[in-house]
Amino acid sequence: MDLTVQILNGLNYILVLILVAMGLVIIFGLMRVINMAHGEFFLLGAYTVVMTDQIGWGFWPGLFLAPLVVGLIGMAIEYICIRHLYQRFMDTILATWGMSIAIKQFIIVVFGPAGLMIRPPLPQMARFAGIEYPTYRLFIMLVALIIICVTYYVFLRTDFGLGARAVIDNRNMAAVLGINTRKMYRTTFTFGSALAGLAGAVMAPLMSCDPQMGLGFFIPAFLAILMGGTGTLAGVLVGGGVVGGADSLISFLYSPVMAQIVVFSIAIVVIRIRPQGLLGSKRYV
Amino acid sequence: MLTVKNVYASYGGSLILQGVNLSIAPKEIKALMGRNGMGKTTLMRTVMGLLPPRSGEIIFNNEPIHNLQTHEIAAKGLSYVPQGRDIFGDFTVWENLRLGMLKSDRSSRNIPEGVFEYFPILAERRNQKAGTFSGGEQQMLAIARALVTRPKMLLLDEPSEGIQPSIVDQISEILTKINRETGLTILLVEQNVEMVLDTAMSCAFMEKGQIVESCPIEAVRQDDSIITCHMAL
Repeated sequence: MDLTVQILNGLNYILVLILVAMGLVIIFGLMRVINMAHGEFFLLGAYTVVMTDQIGWGFWPGLFLAPLVVGLIGMAIEYICIRHLYQRFMDTILATWGMSIAIKQFIIVVFGPAGLMIRPPLPQMARFAGIEYPTYRLFIMLVALIIICVTYYVFLRTDFGLGARAVIDNRNMAAVLGINTRKMYRTTFTFGSALAGLAGAVMAPLMSCDPQMGLGFFIPAFLAILMGGTGTLAGVLVGGGVVGGADSLISFLYSPVMAQIVVFSIAIVVIRIRPQGLLGSKRYV
Repeated sequence: MLTVKNVYASYGGSLILQGVNLSIAPKEIKALMGRNGMGKTTLMRTVMGLLPPRSGEIIFNNEPIHNLQTHEIAAKGLSYVPQGRDIFGDFTVWENLRLGMLKSDRSSRNIPEGVFEYFPILAERRNQKAGTFSGGEQQMLAIARALVTRPKMLLLDEPSEGIQPSIVDQISEILTKINRETGLTILLVEQNVEMVLDTAMSCAFMEKGQIVESCPIEAVRQDDSIITCHMAL
């Protein structure tokens, strides 16, 4: 019985991790920008929920607002800062790292450095297959699954997705065919930010929200992409599965510290043997 | 249709275009010839906005386009088939063609009539991955994709490169037919003299980043020393 719960918890973590990693990999695949502030978009999503909880609106409006708010912030950051730095790989890392520090400090100034809890939005337990499991965690899995499927659909089946994949494949040729690559970048950065914001919002009730919480998702998401292969959406699923699965399993069997050691070791081994990632980096499908 | 006035452009630190002057009349097929490294491809990239000119003017349909971005130039009605074709190999034929439609309004996203008539093979193989095509088929796809954007003028960079002679003949015929039926203006960069003689109405020669001679195609036909003078190594 205990094992089933642990598997579900692991699945929970994997799905949210994929949500975070997907935003990161879309931004990297399209713009060659490693967004060091991605963890802080997660953070901002969580604090949007903290805010609506504190002013008495409760959790649900916050969940709805978080992707919108964080998407808009992402759009503003792209407009103010990142669009001036395309083609300057190192500079984008420095700039987004700076953004991440600034956002963290902003949160400390406004909400203080201490961890904040929010009231559980769905306190009930669901009973099935002989176990009791928090309804809210099932809700998270459902939301993450839907968003992952929608993202896949958008990128593989719509005209927008076709254009985005063309820009990834050959930026100049896409422009020659009339695609506005700058606009594509802005839209994608906004979308990737919104994904991180949503992930932060859904995770907020399960965690103690503090200004460092973004890092706890940014690093595993980053490892997931390195392992799965950059530039592939399917690679994110594989990478997220390996990182999230190993972390959950070993945390349960041994300890979270041991899990960290194992996950990093796996990452080092995979990257040493297959630098292009498990699924390679060329194909986007 | 297109006028290039005293254009200078550099690429990789060296000045490639050194005062190019060139003009193409509407409905004309003009060939641009010259040895390798003389700046033909750079000129096309500059016209398309992929390389910003250092100075000079590029006028298309009485509008200056040298300060526009590539997608804006495409929207004005210029299309470009680069050397090596640059088709999207992982995409199907149909997806490659759909890309040419994305710039138009959602309601008018359809393949212009005639594209499949000029290139029936593309209709047959619309679900095939473009990367599995032969060089000649890829070239046809690249031209068809350019036509889907409904251009007023087409820039074609070495369409005969690496393609078997019978397909080159076929492409020459199709280009002539499209030009006759739709009035499409074409600037053709080509080293294949036979293809130029088959399709072009006039010819310009490029040397060291400048246009050194322009003449109607009849002049070339009558006196092939013009070609040997500018093309022979």
